[in-house]
Amino acid sequence: MNVLASGSFWAFVAVVAGIYTILALGLQLQFGFAGLLNFGQVAFMAIGAYTMAILVVKEGWSMWLAAPLGVIAAGVGGALLGVTTLRLRADYFAIVTIVFSEIIRYVATNENNLTGGSQGTIALGKVGTASQYNGEWASFQTRVQHALGFSSSDATMLVLVWGVAIVLLTLTWLAVRTPWGRVLRSIRDDEDAAASLGKNVLAYKLQALALGAALGGVAGLFYAWEFSFFSPTDFEPLLTFFAWMILLLGGVGRVFAVPVGALVFGLIFAGTRFLNFAPFSWFASDERAYLRLIIIGAIILLLVVLRPQGLLGKKREMVLE
Amino acid sequence: MSALLEVEDVVRTFGGVRAVDGASFGVERNSITALIGPNGAGKSTLFAIIAGSLRPDTGKVLFDEHRIDRKSAYRVARAGVVRTYQSARVLTRMTVLENLLLASFGHPGERLTGIALRPRAARERDRVLHRQARELLALVGLESYEREYAGTLSGGQRKLLDLVRVLMLRPSLVLLDEPMAGVSPTLRVQLLEHILAMRRDRGITFLIVEHDLDFVMQAADRVVVMNQGRVLAAGSPDEIRANEDVVDAYLGKRH
Amino acid sequence: MFLQLLANGLVTGSVYAIAALGVSLIYGILRLVNFAYGDMMAFAALITYGVNGPLHQSMIVATLAGMAATAILALLIDVVLWRPLRARRAGFMSLFLASIGLALVLRQSLLLFGSAQPRTYKVNPYRVFVLGSIRLSEAQVIAIAGAAAAIVAAGLFLAYTTTGRVLRAMADDRALAAVAGIDVGRAIRVAWLISGLLAGLAGVLAALVEYSFDPNFGFQLLLPVFAAVVLGGIGSAYGALAGGLVLGVAQEVSTWSGFAGGVNPVYKPVVAFAVLALALMLRPQGFFGRARVA
Repeated sequence: MNVLASGSFWAFVAVVAGIYTILALGLQLQFGFAGLLNFGQVAFMAIGAYTMAILVVKEGWSMWLAAPLGVIAAGVGGALLGVTTLRLRADYFAIVTIVFSEIIRYVATNENNLTGGSQGTIALGKVGTASQYNGEWASFQTRVQHALGFSSSDATMLVLVWGVAIVLLTLTWLAVRTPWGRVLRSIRDDEDAAASLGKNVLAYKLQALALGAALGGVAGLFYAWEFSFFSPTDFEPLLTFFAWMILLLGGVGRVFAVPVGALVFGLIFAGTRFLNFAPFSWFASDERAYLRLIIIGAIILLLVVLRPQGLLGKKREMVLE
Repeated sequence: MSALLEVEDVVRTFGGVRAVDGASFGVERNSITALIGPNGAGKSTLFAIIAGSLRPDTGKVLFDEHRIDRKSAYRVARAGVVRTYQSARVLTRMTVLENLLLASFGHPGERLTGIALRPRAARERDRVLHRQARELLALVGLESYEREYAGTLSGGQRKLLDLVRVLMLRPSLVLLDEPMAGVSPTLRVQLLEHILAMRRDRGITFLIVEHDLDFVMQAADRVVVMNQGRVLAAGSPDEIRANEDVVDAYLGKRH
Repeated sequence: MFLQLLANGLVTGSVYAIAALGVSLIYGILRLVNFAYGDMMAFAALITYGVNGPLHQSMIVATLAGMAATAILALLIDVVLWRPLRARRAGFMSLFLASIGLALVLRQSLLLFGSAQPRTYKVNPYRVFVLGSIRLSEAQVIAIAGAAAAIVAAGLFLAYTTTGRVLRAMADDRALAAVAGIDVGRAIRVAWLISGLLAGLAGVLAALVEYSFDPNFGFQLLLPVFAAVVLGGIGSAYGALAGGLVLGVAQEVSTWSGFAGGVNPVYKPVVAFAVLALALMLRPQGFFGRARVA
């Protein structure tokens, strides 16, 4: 029970919640505002992270150049996906986005030379060496830590992640209040009616998809920086479903519902670690990992059935659907 | 002067059925033209083709002497041809005001580049739109519903909203899809007055699909009758009323 | 070599086909994309293992047990989850999300109560049937035979029985069917029954062909199955069958050296998706699908 009181642990939970906030924010833009059923959001996380790592380790780029390029690569990935798939009907689009994210993961697993294969980024460098892409970030983080006078690196990372998250949340909030955002919402409501009002629906969807993908890329960067090493299995569809769950928890269509959803989700996920009482104590600890996911799945189901508008969503909007 | 809208030999099949089978007619400027015919005559299909939601298999649609049959729906709207839907498709989860604010072309604020590079022009345009929208809402008596979700409006109110939304777009040609369907007698009068005013004050041309023959005979200058995918007859309401083929088509005497 | 690949493709394809049929049936009637389908297949495979291994029953008995168990599971889930959602008039998105949540719960439950270790059935891996230049293992022959029987049975059922016709009518236009006096509730139960049986059979056959399997294999199967459903046109039973066969064959045949060295076998799943992507570009509604959601 000591871990419960450990500030370091909860700082870690908050960092992960921050990363998921950025990931889910991209999804909120795509689905909550433009109505796109993107079930492949984790792919853009992977693209962002891998692009940055590959450029640093294999091409010797500076982190500060590689990182923005990772975000751009993710955005371009979203645009490419959109150009080929946005004309499909909604259910096909959803299925194809999952397929897309699995293909990305598949390529990352099999292209050993490019991505380090199933071992992950540790194998990016020469054979026999454990490659590191995090050098520059680590020293940056230490500098910030000293400047802020913090004693732990977890707290520093927390400030960095959430600092960026808040900036992105605010920018998104501002963007959806513009006439551009108005058009997005009209597309979500009724895209044929929007077209008959002269709106180029496809162009707007593409923009939402690409921007949401870029946000996913940013989430991928922070994931890479927090965990130092990653492999293709880190980017399985489960993460996309977590992002959807965060949207469901917080509320669809409200920008600042995303961090609320992410924090609640983080609490549930982390909290289920401490189920040391019966009936959970009957299970071995590795089995409890499955149990946690069962609980999370069950929560998704309950939310969908009982409160589909989420904690902060507008019930009226759901009723009018 | 040529007709504002020219439909030439349009053909459209759906899985073996010829929904439109070589239809041709013209719509004169500043006229109220009605498109009538029994169910299955191909009117809705032709409407969708003119509006750009469907492509014809063969044939042409000319608007102001430019071809629009290959254009997608949003381009047709921008060219000046605006349509309504039978069910008055308002944006239910947006406010009444927002429904009108969306009815504009070339708004710099609606493009990401516009927001970034021309923020002042964007704000100015939005201000103008707000004013115009409020004026139009007052015109149809909906001004107190400005902040309500359009989904909470009654059917009749939605029809009115639809109509003023069309006005915001300053179209040349308006395609009305069964505007009188399910409408109360009082609202009927109101809608007809608005349509006539729009024609008179703004020079708007109307092409109306309608089943309500009383309305058609009362309001239309010209009537085009379709049957089995083709144009059966076209002329003034009196000419059509006297036309035997038209009567037969409706009563099903032949075939 | 090509013929061998073709034969392998028919084996994979027929398993995809019956799974895709199960998915398509449910979509046609309930407009529900059942993400839990892969895990239902894994459930069947595990139950069958349990009956075949520890309980020492023959594969036939075990498979029937697995199919029955899956059908019961499908019906149970309908009562517990889908019916309440239908009562609340849940939209497409809610159903989609619910099926994902369900898939999560199912798979993790299988892992929890079954463990992640790989298993195999008690079949003879060395017995080979030779047909000209084609060699098929016992598992492969069983898979083709079983799938073919299921396809014929399903085809006859859909075409000639009243319930089958009802199901097809409902897929076409559910509102109309309800007004025409069709017992919608019963039709839904029958649809889940058949879908569950098909998932059961597909799961066992897939596990047989793969030789060793663990509870995670359901999701891996699900993607090519969904691809098959979309390829054929969602909601179309015949489309699903055709889509499954086409994808299975395309996958295997693409590795043929005659195609400029052939595709690296590791990328076979990607081939299936590439075929799907190409097909959708040519015909966005799938081959037998409708252009717009009704």
